[in-house]
Amino acid sequence: MKILGIDLGTTNSAMAIVEGGEPKVLENAEGARTTPSVAAISKSNERLVGMLAKRQAVVNPKNTVFSVKRLIGRKFSDSEVQRDVKWLPYELKQSSSGGVEVNMGDKWYKPEEISAMILAKLKADAEAKLGEKIEEAVITVPAYFDDSQRQATKNAGEIAGLKVRRIINEPTAAAFAYGFNREKNQKIAVYDFGGGTFDISVLEIGFDTETKEQTVEVKGTGGDTHLGGDDFDKRMIDFLVDEYKKSQGTDLSKDPLALQRLREAVEKAKHELSTVTEAEINLPYISSDASGPKHFLMKLSRAKLEDLVGDMISKSIELVKKTISETGLKVSDINELILVGGQTRMPAMQEAVKKFFGKEPHRGINPDEVVAIGAAVQAGIFQGDVKDVLLLDVTPLSLGIETYGSVFTPMIEKNTTIPTSKSQIFSTASDNQTSVEIHVLQGERTMAADNKTLGRFILDGIPPAPRGIPQIEVAFDIDANGILSVSAKDKATNKVQSVRIEASTQLSKDEIERLKKEAAMHAEEDRQKKEVAEVKNQAEQLVYVSEKNVNEWKDKISAEVKASIEKKIADLKDAIAKNDPEIIKSASAELSQELQKIGQSMYTPKDNEQAPPEQ
Amino acid sequence: MEENTNNQQKNDSAESQPLSEIDKLKKQCDEYLDGWKRSKADFINYRKDEVKRLDLILKFANETIIKDLINVLDSFDLAIQSLGGDSKVEKGVYLIRAQLEDILKKYGLERIIVSVGQKFDPALHEAIASVESDKPSGTIIDEVERGYTLSGKLIRAARVKVSK
Repeated sequence: MKILGIDLGTTNSAMAIVEGGEPKVLENAEGARTTPSVAAISKSNERLVGMLAKRQAVVNPKNTVFSVKRLIGRKFSDSEVQRDVKWLPYELKQSSSGGVEVNMGDKWYKPEEISAMILAKLKADAEAKLGEKIEEAVITVPAYFDDSQRQATKNAGEIAGLKVRRIINEPTAAAFAYGFNREKNQKIAVYDFGGGTFDISVLEIGFDTETKEQTVEVKGTGGDTHLGGDDFDKRMIDFLVDEYKKSQGTDLSKDPLALQRLREAVEKAKHELSTVTEAEINLPYISSDASGPKHFLMKLSRAKLEDLVGDMISKSIELVKKTISETGLKVSDINELILVGGQTRMPAMQEAVKKFFGKEPHRGINPDEVVAIGAAVQAGIFQGDVKDVLLLDVTPLSLGIETYGSVFTPMIEKNTTIPTSKSQIFSTASDNQTSVEIHVLQGERTMAADNKTLGRFILDGIPPAPRGIPQIEVAFDIDANGILSVSAKDKATNKVQSVRIEASTQLSKDEIERLKKEAAMHAEEDRQKKEVAEVKNQAEQLVYVSEKNVNEWKDKISAEVKASIEKKIADLKDAIAKNDPEIIKSASAELSQELQKIGQSMYTPKDNEQAPPEQ
Repeated sequence: MEENTNNQQKNDSAESQPLSEIDKLKKQCDEYLDGWKRSKADFINYRKDEVKRLDLILKFANETIIKDLINVLDSFDLAIQSLGGDSKVEKGVYLIRAQLEDILKKYGLERIIVSVGQKFDPALHEAIASVESDKPSGTIIDEVERGYTLSGKLIRAARVKVSK
């Protein structure tokens, strides 16, 4: 029975499950990977949840309940609740036990009952998608949630028909998603900048190798429950509305459709500015006045965006500083940094965080989904999907051999899960070559000399044959312990030689990162070197074929043809020695052309023969 | 005979121990073989699902592009609305719009039909304003932006004004 991992968010929720050993996000019934945390009772007394509830929010504000996470498990008198009462469009009151109740469709509900509606939809959608019943879940909560808030969240699950196996902290889930559930003694900072809230958490992960128990301690939490990506959008919209008012005199915020279009365009531009430095906002027919239709066209630069929101980013860093100092740790004590939340895709934010911590953040997993994925990882552990004994490693760098032209030919790509094996057939480079040297290498560079030698051995006794004819099967095998065995077998004689290498997965993380960076830096240069090597290989092959052909047909072609071809062969040999790919390519082309004269002169009728009639 | 007795004794003592070494190993062996078979089965099933996934991807591969192009259709709608009477220019613009829509229809795009007086349905419509009107409450009084489905899946709800 599968256990569902659920990120029950303030604005949006997501769910994930472990399938085939890997956690994966599940789409809801509408095909979306996130579900708005909104519930409503429509005018026609229908209960709506998710996107459907959101779509009618504008016409039914009193009965559309959102952001209920801000109220769950709290007392009505809490300052947080009192602050939100002021702006939430639906009615709130104090319950008989001092808690909060919300009004929806003329009935009063506890916040957990509302959350239960969202959880129930996720449960039903997951069951429909997977074709099986879901009865258990792992649900995440902010690290600062107290007992009452956690219990209320658990109750929400039970009301929805889910047995909650565990309530885990959002930053812990994020750490699990990145595989930190197998590490020990790591201090991890989780910077979570979502749509409506900002949370910074410092965790200490321990792993008791005796009891095989994971321990996660929350060393400190901080943040701002009313700072998020939505505030960034608001700044941009206000700026654009202002600019438009200045140049056109119209206030777009008064027109609901124009405002909606502007809101969407701003969000799209914000996303684009994470990858390009300028985005265009083009909204034809945004409004009209006495002189006719008006359009909105404006270029927004990344610099301007950073200018508009810079203070909010700095504020978040100040909060990080405060939280870390409260834990008694130094910034340099933090081992790992994780980014969560869509807004963290912004380059300026990543730079600010990187600068403060002095290290690269982990961000390979979709920041909107990382918490749900982590919840699924925990669910997977409960399901028994992830047995300790089945935890598999990957080979951190590519493994391969040196081939003709001093090129590195990878056999097993980096990040391949082990144990694994791969084999490929190679051949000889010269005629009558009776032995091959297998030079085993590790690294990411294209030329063998730039990679690390792991071992070498020789396979001999290959029967003499023209180059390219023998079949030597080279096999790479890495076992579950990371021990690499390389063998070479001559398919004709079945003769085998092999070598066993112990240390191929033993490099430190820093070492691996350094090698990968080097490869990236030299990528262009390496590509050119490889191209030169390939051009040379092909040219040498052409020389070989040409010489062979001239020799074979020397009695059938005239002395002039033979001489001219031999000259082109000599020219090509010279070009190869010069190492310039352009010269080699043109000399190769000339030789190919010249080579055709063999056929031409053999098919041309001799003086006393008649040419065949053209067909 | 003596040997047999010894063996007998040995057997007795083996049975009285909770789980002998051999039984433990056998159990582990069975567990491993079962795990291995399940892994293999998972992989085979994953491959079967992959084919289904590829089908879905093919069907919805163009979803992002089409969604973006809908914004262009919107602009055309607004242009046509604003041009009103100038028939010469309007016809050309209308034809270009029709051309774009026809191409998108080929890839599965379909317009959601909305009519004034229709009951507001959040499964197909998004309310952007609530307006005073003499029409019955909860009915659509204006379609502000068109809604579309792609191969049956809703990709944009129709934006409407609903009567209070």
